[in-house]
Amino acid sequence: MKERTVFAIAVITVALLAAGFWVAQNVNLMPAEGSSRAALVDQLFRAMLGMAAVVFLLVEGLLLYSVLRFRRPRGDDTDAVAVHGNRALEIVWTLIPALIVVVIGFYSFRVLAASETRDADPLVVNVHSRQFSWTFEYPAAGVTSTDLHLPVGRQVRFLITSDDVIHSFWVPEFRVKRDATPGQLAELLVTPTLLGTYAVRCAELCGVGHASMGLTSQVYVVSEADFQTWLEAQAGLPSDPIAAGRLLMGRYGCSGCHTLADAGALGVVGPALDPLSDPAVQAGLHGGDLRAYVEQSIVDPSAVVVQGFIDGLMPADLGTRIPAGELAILVDYLVAQK
Amino acid sequence: MTATASTTARPAWRRYFGWSTDHKVIGVQYIVTSFFFFLVGGAMAGMIRAQLLAPDSTLVSAEAYNRLTTNHGSIMLFLWILPVLAGLSNYLIPLQIGARDMAFPRLNALSFWFLVPSGLLMLASFFVGAAEAGWTAYVPLSVSGPDGQTLWAISVVLLGASSMMGALNFVTTVFTMRAPGMTFWRLPLFTWSVLATSILTLTATPVLTAGLILIALDRLVGTLFFSVPAGGDPILWQNLFWFYSHPAVYIMVLPAMGAISEIFPVFARKPIFGYRMIALSSLAISLLGLTVWAHHMFTSGMDPRLRVPYMISTMIIAVPTGVKIFSWLATIWGGKLRLDTPMLFALGFISMFLIGGITGVFLAAIPVDLHVHDTYFVVAHLHFVLFGGSVSGAYAALYYWYPKITGRRFDERLGKIHFAANFIGTNLAYLPMFLAGLLGMPRRVVNYDPRFTELNQLASLGAFILAASVLPLLYNFVVSWVTGPRAGDNPWRAKTLEWSVSSPPPSHNFDTPPVVTGEPYDFGESALPAPAMSSAAAAD
Repeated sequence: MKERTVFAIAVITVALLAAGFWVAQNVNLMPAEGSSRAALVDQLFRAMLGMAAVVFLLVEGLLLYSVLRFRRPRGDDTDAVAVHGNRALEIVWTLIPALIVVVIGFYSFRVLAASETRDADPLVVNVHSRQFSWTFEYPAAGVTSTDLHLPVGRQVRFLITSDDVIHSFWVPEFRVKRDATPGQLAELLVTPTLLGTYAVRCAELCGVGHASMGLTSQVYVVSEADFQTWLEAQAGLPSDPIAAGRLLMGRYGCSGCHTLADAGALGVVGPALDPLSDPAVQAGLHGGDLRAYVEQSIVDPSAVVVQGFIDGLMPADLGTRIPAGELAILVDYLVAQK
Repeated sequence: MTATASTTARPAWRRYFGWSTDHKVIGVQYIVTSFFFFLVGGAMAGMIRAQLLAPDSTLVSAEAYNRLTTNHGSIMLFLWILPVLAGLSNYLIPLQIGARDMAFPRLNALSFWFLVPSGLLMLASFFVGAAEAGWTAYVPLSVSGPDGQTLWAISVVLLGASSMMGALNFVTTVFTMRAPGMTFWRLPLFTWSVLATSILTLTATPVLTAGLILIALDRLVGTLFFSVPAGGDPILWQNLFWFYSHPAVYIMVLPAMGAISEIFPVFARKPIFGYRMIALSSLAISLLGLTVWAHHMFTSGMDPRLRVPYMISTMIIAVPTGVKIFSWLATIWGGKLRLDTPMLFALGFISMFLIGGITGVFLAAIPVDLHVHDTYFVVAHLHFVLFGGSVSGAYAALYYWYPKITGRRFDERLGKIHFAANFIGTNLAYLPMFLAGLLGMPRRVVNYDPRFTELNQLASLGAFILAASVLPLLYNFVVSWVTGPRAGDNPWRAKTLEWSVSSPPPSHNFDTPPVVTGEPYDFGESALPAPAMSSAAAAD
């Protein structure tokens, strides 16, 4: 090989490696790093991005250079100099990619092992999914909510189930998702490390409400003290009936599917609960008795289905799950929202 | 009346509208039919991207949206990419190996005529409520759902049967019908890639077919294969589905790779670099492709100990793929490049498929996959592989063999416009999707978080450019077929056997059976401007 060629190859190699290193250090394509796992995954991702940049620049560079440099001179119909192969070169471009994927594979395995180690005393949260909402149950405290509240710095052990089809529980800031498969109990370990509010997404197509299932539930990562305060507030019922109604909206999953500004509910699978009187008045039911209509809609959701919405999506067992006293509070709260 | 008499009695164009056992007619039937479905699938993509222009758009309902995405995917894969490549293979394999026709001409016709009713069945499903469980049809969602889901399953079973018949025919043809002197190490690389693909099709497709029949039985006669309360396992379907559907990606990209392996030596006027390595890497991808399917299931709760082996096998596929890419680069290095339309699409293939290939390694890395699985990152990746890769390769092939198939030259200027619009549109449509996925946008959503609005609008703009890019292609191919200048037998001065016969070739392909004496890409060595592989051997 000519000296000049060796020099050029050396310069290009150094430049490519420098570019790859720069990309790995400076390019961030990820959302906030919200968990201990996210920190590990992002290190791996950035290292891979650096290597990808080297390969990308090398191949696209060779392609572009060839297209600019090796053009047929006008009027030249002769063939180029024949080269059939080069054993050494072919070994190099087989071995180097093989080496790269071995390194990435080994690194991935290390990250996986480190992020799936269970702590001694994780906070257990049962994640229940159904078409098309999430509820989060804290079995130790006997609390249920449509939003997820987590203390920062403590490992959470999610136990994920589905009542119907496959859903997938994903918090992008935690960098991990886990399918909720009917008939399976899925485990997921996450240690939140950053205070903030994030969205819970559903990542597996689950039917007409799939998109809204990724837009309605939030994760609030708070301090341990704030978490305990929230947990205690959830366990009982506030004496103020409006506050109590708001809380019941979350406890029984209403907020997952309906919109109600006062309760911060954003669901779109069922009819909005803000202009509550309209469908009942139009239906002329119960002699216009709004209270009776609302109660019936909770206990027997198939009795009246508002036009444009699908029968059978709302759980039919709420009448047995909600104690009579709480049902009265909830109905009063909803009627008061008109 | 003999077959020859009946074909000469009818005007030539009418042969394309009826039962014909001529592999060239069947090839064109495949290509034109698949192009119709490409336009249908593209129109669906247009509606999807129009809906996603705004985060809370109500242009299409959630139900209609799921039906659009499901059928867009199914149509593009099963009714466009697979059949257009099957059409090219049909047209070219007998010509490239010096055979008179395929080994089983009537089976060949049958496999095409399975395509038409199954395509119509899939379209007809929109009248009874189309499938809406995604092209992946995950159970239990796909077991409930409208009647169209049953039609969808039957349609895909028929398409699978069609592609298995085709694959059986290709394998038999390549093994038994090669001309004297056409050894395996003299096979054109397109033929090699179709051989590798067909072996993969024959191994993997029956598994998907079995799974689809289980779904159809659950829906039609109330069996409980996938019923969770009765003890059915949703993961079983995912195994059956991906055992075919991951190899399907290789089935859809290997022939495109084969086509561009033909194009580079011709337009660089150099022998292909590392012929045997390219041929063997096709086989390697085929075999390794059967061992990687569960990388689609890292989040599904498969046995955690099984994940690492699947990660390793998936990553290793990068090695034979890299061999191909570097061999192509070495082929054009030091060549005398002519940048005609087929060459531009072949270069575009490398440039865009590379992005699909690199991001595939990210998806194989389990910790990264647990974040980006089922997000727009995957949507971007698969479109760079299948649109930037397979479809670019199919475009390259269609332009390259257009003069052979039609006997006419296409308009080079329109071809270049198509290339430019396609290249810009593809990158604009799919690059922003990587970022949307990384930042937290799941796939298959009718509405999305407003923070992703700009990325989606860029993607939609790219998609609309892609839609417009098809117009110069259509106009060019239709008008040039009628009014284009005569192409001559060998306009690109290529050396594979199909260029040694007239354009279009006579119905019996070769006037005298060819005898092969050399390799298909010996540019720069043979003084003969005519194909070195023809019966010109006698002159040596």
